[in-house]
Amino acid sequence: MAATRRLQKELNDIRQSGLKSFRDIQVDESNILTWQGLIVPDNSPYNKGAFRIEINFPAEYPFKPPKISFKTKIYHPNIDEKGQVCLPIISAENWKPATKTDQVIQALVALVNDPEPEHPLRAELAEEFLKDRKKFTKNAEEFTKKHSEKRPSD
Amino acid sequence: MTESIPALTTPISLSTYHQLSLTVESANIKNSGLFKPNPYLQVVIDDKLSRRTDYIKNTLHPKWKEDLTVLVTPQSELLFRLADYHSFRKDNIIGEKRIHLLKILLYFNGKCDNVELTIDLMKTVSQENSSSAGGEVKTAELVILLDGLRVDPSVLSQSHEVLGENANTGSPLNEGVRAKLRMRSNPETMRSMARSQTLRPPPGPPPLSNGTHNSPPNIPGPPIMGPSTSLPEGAAGPSHADVTASGPPASGSVQFTNPGEEPLPAGWEMRYDVYGRRYYVDHNTRSTSWERPQPLPPGWEVRRDARGRVYYVDHNTRTTTWQRPDTERLARFQHWRGERRHVAQMAQGNQRFLYPHPQPPHPSHPPQLAPSLPDTDHELNSSDNNANAGGNVPLVGSLSFAGASVAGAAGAGGASTSSAVSAGAAADDTLGALPAGWERRVQPDGRVYYVNHKNRTTQWEDPRTQGQEVSALEEALPGGWEIRFTEDGTRYFVDHNTRTTTFQDPRPGAPKGAHGAYGVPRAYERSFRWKLSQFRYLCQSNALPSHIKITLSRQSLFEDSYHQIMRLPAYELRRRLYIIFRGEEGLDYGGVSREWFFLLSHEVLNPMYCLFEYANKNNYSLQINPASYVNPDHLLYFKFIGRFIAMALYHGRFIYSGFTMPFYKRMLNKKLTMKDIESIDPEFYNSLVWIKDNNIDECGLEMWFSVDFEVLGQVIHHELKPSGDKERVTETNKEQYLQLVTQWRMTRGIEEQTSAFLDGFNEVVPLEWLKYFDERELELMLCGMQEVDVDDWHRNTIYRHYTRTSKQVAWFWQFVRQMDNEKRARLLQFVTGTCRVPVGGFAELMGSNGPQRFCIEKVGKDTWLPRSHTCFNRLDLPPYKSYEQLCEKLNFAIEETEGFGQE
Repeated sequence: MAATRRLQKELNDIRQSGLKSFRDIQVDESNILTWQGLIVPDNSPYNKGAFRIEINFPAEYPFKPPKISFKTKIYHPNIDEKGQVCLPIISAENWKPATKTDQVIQALVALVNDPEPEHPLRAELAEEFLKDRKKFTKNAEEFTKKHSEKRPSD
Repeated sequence: MTESIPALTTPISLSTYHQLSLTVESANIKNSGLFKPNPYLQVVIDDKLSRRTDYIKNTLHPKWKEDLTVLVTPQSELLFRLADYHSFRKDNIIGEKRIHLLKILLYFNGKCDNVELTIDLMKTVSQENSSSAGGEVKTAELVILLDGLRVDPSVLSQSHEVLGENANTGSPLNEGVRAKLRMRSNPETMRSMARSQTLRPPPGPPPLSNGTHNSPPNIPGPPIMGPSTSLPEGAAGPSHADVTASGPPASGSVQFTNPGEEPLPAGWEMRYDVYGRRYYVDHNTRSTSWERPQPLPPGWEVRRDARGRVYYVDHNTRTTTWQRPDTERLARFQHWRGERRHVAQMAQGNQRFLYPHPQPPHPSHPPQLAPSLPDTDHELNSSDNNANAGGNVPLVGSLSFAGASVAGAAGAGGASTSSAVSAGAAADDTLGALPAGWERRVQPDGRVYYVNHKNRTTQWEDPRTQGQEVSALEEALPGGWEIRFTEDGTRYFVDHNTRTTTFQDPRPGAPKGAHGAYGVPRAYERSFRWKLSQFRYLCQSNALPSHIKITLSRQSLFEDSYHQIMRLPAYELRRRLYIIFRGEEGLDYGGVSREWFFLLSHEVLNPMYCLFEYANKNNYSLQINPASYVNPDHLLYFKFIGRFIAMALYHGRFIYSGFTMPFYKRMLNKKLTMKDIESIDPEFYNSLVWIKDNNIDECGLEMWFSVDFEVLGQVIHHELKPSGDKERVTETNKEQYLQLVTQWRMTRGIEEQTSAFLDGFNEVVPLEWLKYFDERELELMLCGMQEVDVDDWHRNTIYRHYTRTSKQVAWFWQFVRQMDNEKRARLLQFVTGTCRVPVGGFAELMGSNGPQRFCIEKVGKDTWLPRSHTCFNRLDLPPYKSYEQLCEKLNFAIEETEGFGQE
């Protein structure tokens, strides 16, 4: 497979670089087009948990960008209830075949840490984020406590 | 798809669910009282799922012939319970029997294909609910048919553990169960039988029998009808409703998944891989998916044809398809159905034309195809008689009315004759008298046509000016010179005297220098009309006498058309067409066949046939669907569609929606360029451009001369050249890589289909006949032009870095208003990629990111040519200094087809 070599290399690089904020990377040997991993954010209100994401690479990768979705529920203005996230770096207009998955993940981690209420997927959360940060933080923390996964211990 | 089976992480096991078609045929009940029972059969699988047949009133010999499709595992236990239906009290059990499916599977080596079981149903005298206890008497004999279940025999070997001590017996079934393989009836007779009862044409796959209720034994009946199915008789019994009410909408499948979630559709199974991730196995198609399948929409049903292939029935529309309907596919289908209304209207309204006319838009028959006078068609006896009653040439006047009846036509013809006299002499005096044997006439609507009494034909064109351009040019050529055309349609001149060629027109009258009107190089100046007349000439000189009759029913338009067109030798399709819609008495003088081309061209593009697909979600031009191979006969259909499209060109008819520009280029055997990808796959195109524009060494692209794509969940690998897997793409060889990838992107998965289409096409119209045209002209020829509403266009245009009042903008609209319709269509093609305007007008123009109005942007310097971005409907118009300059540059951009857009 054409995409396999590139993905194998990217996967090795990512595993070797030991990203702090993206852990527990799981890839099925027989299907390297699907990755799972844990996003481990640093910033409040998400720093009490970890969030599982799935990255799906199209067969035509890197001609077409990967798609990312959250498997863990998260209270976030840029991530909707279905786990969809709008990440500019992998949008049709911005995608470049040279963009690497670790850049995509870093962009995603940055977005989780610092929501961008100007481009919300969930308008009501963006409004709360802007108008009543305290309430937002409280809600997000509770939500994280209830739904998120355990952070890796090390 | 069979290959995908080994890829499953867990092997198929004895606990895997399979679909089993269980036909409850009949029973014989022992007489045991005064009253005859109202028997029905209940089937309980593993003490969980229960299905039952309708009850039949007052009989000891019920015949149900009812299909119950059930999900079973090879080790399922089936309980057959025959009961007597009572409306007021509890139903009385007549007799029952438990059967282990595994024993039957072992007996038939894993295959339950048309296995007939005769089962003795027992009743314990003491009425205790146990089948093993003594004191049982046989109360009835039941005949059922099992079909469509196949289990790998190797899996069955595990069964010994499951069956324990009973298993080693191997062959014998339960006592009181007799099994035999039933012969299938002759496939040929089956097929013809099925065909005569078909609801839907072949592209919707296997025939759906008309009386689903009483289907013949070997044709799949209505096994898994949902509660909401639209067949009136099907789900009549209250029993059905009981069983399926709690099930998923359309499939009535087993509820074996997590409670709280919608049950999986029939034949699907949920599994976990080694990482604990959930995935789904579709045993119907033997494929896997990460996505949870959506239950079939209401009114849909999954079935198997006689060859065991899975297909889907939509009872709402009484159609079938090979592809599982999902939301996206249904949305596309909805869109297609929505169009359908417009198609019919448009076919009637004649909004398309090729030759612009000062008259309001009306059908334009290209000259040689103007329908011949009735007298010339000796086979048309009925019309002959009627026609003669109305005078010599009365039918001509009615040619433009779709489906005109004989009576109406004769009347209109009479009217035209009278008006002809008054209008005749008035006009066109400058051209002198008509040639001998010609007559000028006027239709009731004022449109002029010409009658050639010598060969009894009519045409719209004035014989005095027709083909003038051609003859004037040809005759004026000096001796030994010849006009020829390059592969891309550029005219050049051959001087056989000196054996040289030149683009320069050698005739004295020809404009000197390299530029013609508007300063466009003479070589680029085309005349669509001239090319068209050449093509028509070829058609006419290869025409055959008399006509072919094609009789169709509107309900089975596709199938009827397919059979009749493929039955005939291809050359016959050049005869005049005589289309009859069954039950509609109109005679075809052009209107009916025009409608037929419109309707059928829309029908073959039905997304549910999976033959064609829209280029992408914002480009409704059509291209061959690489997934079309799910349709087992797809190559035949492509050949048929090729013939049909050629017939449209040959007979000068229009089709409803056109193909993508790259598809036309393929028909013209033109080389496809990277730019061609932009209109069909902008994302892919952007990546190619990025690779072209950037130094790719050192950025870890990890690309090799091999590529992948996915069709129906299957990844298809392709080496771009021998050992491409071993050759890395670098800055030095990337040009070659881009070329090869471009070629592959435009042909992947559709080569066979394309050549089948071209084969069919070429049989009717030799592809060389198209050599005059470029791809845009081909689109015009096939789809016709629509009157472009310039006011609507103007109103719905937006500007960037220009304003509505910028002088270049004013010049642009002046230019647009001055050009004819053909030029306008070309300008539209240049900017938007198609000459067609959306049904709702320019306000509904779509770009690659949703609605995108026509946009004019100020870009560059006045020495630049205009450019276009078809995915954004944007014209980059440099700030030209004068109106003349703007005209010259725009003309050049529109006329020049190749290469320039890529700057």
